[in-house]
Amino acid sequence: MILAVTVAVLVAGGSYLLLSRSMVRAVFGIGLLSHGANFVLLTAGVPAWRAEPLTGESDPGVMGDPLPMAFVLTAIVITLAVTVVMLTFAVLGHNDDTHRMPPTGETHV
Amino acid sequence: MNPALLLLFVIVPLFAAGLTVVVRQAVLDRVLFLAVPLATALGGVLLLGVHARPEHQVLAHNVGSFVPGIAIPFVSDTLTALMLALTGVTTAVCGWFLCVTGEDRYRFVSPLILMLTAGVNGALLTGDLFNLFVFVEVMLLPSYALIAVTGTWRRLGIGRLFILVNLLTSTFLLVSVGWVYAAAGTVNLAALAGQGAADPRIGVALALVLFSLAIKGGAVPLHGWLPSAYPETSAGIMALFSALHTKVALYALYRIYAVGFGEAAAGWVGWALVAVVVATMLVGAVSTAAAARLRVAFAFQMVTGVGHILLGLVLFTGASLAAGLFYLGHHVVTVGGLLLLAGAIEQTYGSGRYDRLSGLMRRDRLVAVGMTLGLFSLVGLPPTSGLWGKVGLVLAAAQARPVLAAVLLAALVLAALASIMGLQRLWEQVFWGPPLEEYSPDDPQLGRGARTVLPAGERIPGRLAAPGLALIAVSVLMFLFGGQLYPIAQSAGEALLQPGAYAEAVLR
Repeated sequence: MILAVTVAVLVAGGSYLLLSRSMVRAVFGIGLLSHGANFVLLTAGVPAWRAEPLTGESDPGVMGDPLPMAFVLTAIVITLAVTVVMLTFAVLGHNDDTHRMPPTGETHV
Repeated sequence: MNPALLLLFVIVPLFAAGLTVVVRQAVLDRVLFLAVPLATALGGVLLLGVHARPEHQVLAHNVGSFVPGIAIPFVSDTLTALMLALTGVTTAVCGWFLCVTGEDRYRFVSPLILMLTAGVNGALLTGDLFNLFVFVEVMLLPSYALIAVTGTWRRLGIGRLFILVNLLTSTFLLVSVGWVYAAAGTVNLAALAGQGAADPRIGVALALVLFSLAIKGGAVPLHGWLPSAYPETSAGIMALFSALHTKVALYALYRIYAVGFGEAAAGWVGWALVAVVVATMLVGAVSTAAAARLRVAFAFQMVTGVGHILLGLVLFTGASLAAGLFYLGHHVVTVGGLLLLAGAIEQTYGSGRYDRLSGLMRRDRLVAVGMTLGLFSLVGLPPTSGLWGKVGLVLAAAQARPVLAAVLLAALVLAALASIMGLQRLWEQVFWGPPLEEYSPDDPQLGRGARTVLPAGERIPGRLAAPGLALIAVSVLMFLFGGQLYPIAQSAGEALLQPGAYAEAVLR
């Protein structure tokens, strides 16, 4: 239940930020959304507290499912990389995401 | 053939990408980013030969030799081999165009394209849904950079849109893959064979996977990002994206629908797909008439093409799958060729806007002939590959249940009529009309220069038009050798009808 509420809060906040015009806010929104997605993945295999999935350390009966953990790990790495790319895009082009820029003389080709 | 060699399709481009970053050498860059896609295409053709033998119809390798069902499988059948050959050739031709325009000299373009190739090959070969997500990301990450390397001033703003839409869709894909795992306990496609139809929970989760892939493919009503984003980047990059991104998503749609649902999907998933297909065909075709730039018109034609390709999936018979897959091949080649020709026009005259171009028919006869053939192909007229694609789709649609057949045939005819009208406008504005008098040549310092009087001898250089004309020639060859090529699409379609063989090869 706590996990479900957490996901709901994260997705609500993420959607709100994503709808704003500024790229930086949208990046934060995507960050919250993918965090919510990671929690959803965790619920697929680890709905309640489970032991570490290490053979020899814990009893297989109480182990958590390692596969969703691996999914989340991969997803976190990808999100980190994309967040860096997105932040680059937020800096490039000055403030043209939030303000109408002065005409540059360039038009659509 | 040892199935473990399938891994080379990913390892070689990734290694080459790394090499071109470490060794900054212009000739090596150019050789690698042309040779690796060509090698991929060659590998695809070799695999087609292997799959023609009955005992090797599906090749599967469990990466790392873990237990089948747990390991990530790399699987190849006729459809995969076909897609590898097709995307490899198109990537190489787009690379050729980028070499001619000099865009491959921009920083990191070669490694990015090699990484893109690795991601595409991996997404085509993998038999695991989570791994599919990873390879789709590997494919998209270089694209985020490539879309902003060249193009108009608006490419930065549109790059933001492209990233946000694709990332949101990827997040959705990730969540739905998680739900597949929660419902089925596996994300191995072979272990999911037929499960979508058997268990409604898995069915919903798989339908959400298909939904996210449909957004990435550019299906209506979530197609808006495609015609806004693609025309703002340069023509070469747009041709590359049009051949790879949406087509990989469509391939994954075909594969997951066929394995996960199969013929038993006639329920609500099937009807939802019918609605999406009809809307996509019509909206894309009608919107073409509203375009004011060459590449915007072709972007809308890409959207309507997505509808035509998915038509094969809706009907899910041997004939319809073959027709849809042939249409997929035809569409990649034709749209690629048209975009590269539009790129040659833009590169020479400095604009792709209808109101800045006119009378090209008398100036550049060869480009006009190529463009005519390409436009014929989009609508489905001979002597181009479009004819066989359309004929196959119409014949397959006519065999469906009466109401469904009537709806689909009406949509096909209306979409073709609307496309003709939209493309006639393009032809009338750009190729007819008074002779062109002004153009915007490239300025060595500022990029695009001011509008000046067009010198009498200015023509589209042959080397700039050659890549586009080559792809159009392939489309004509696909018409002439339709009898030889159509059976390949047919056997790929047959393989989709038997997910059992696919699952057996992977889980053996």
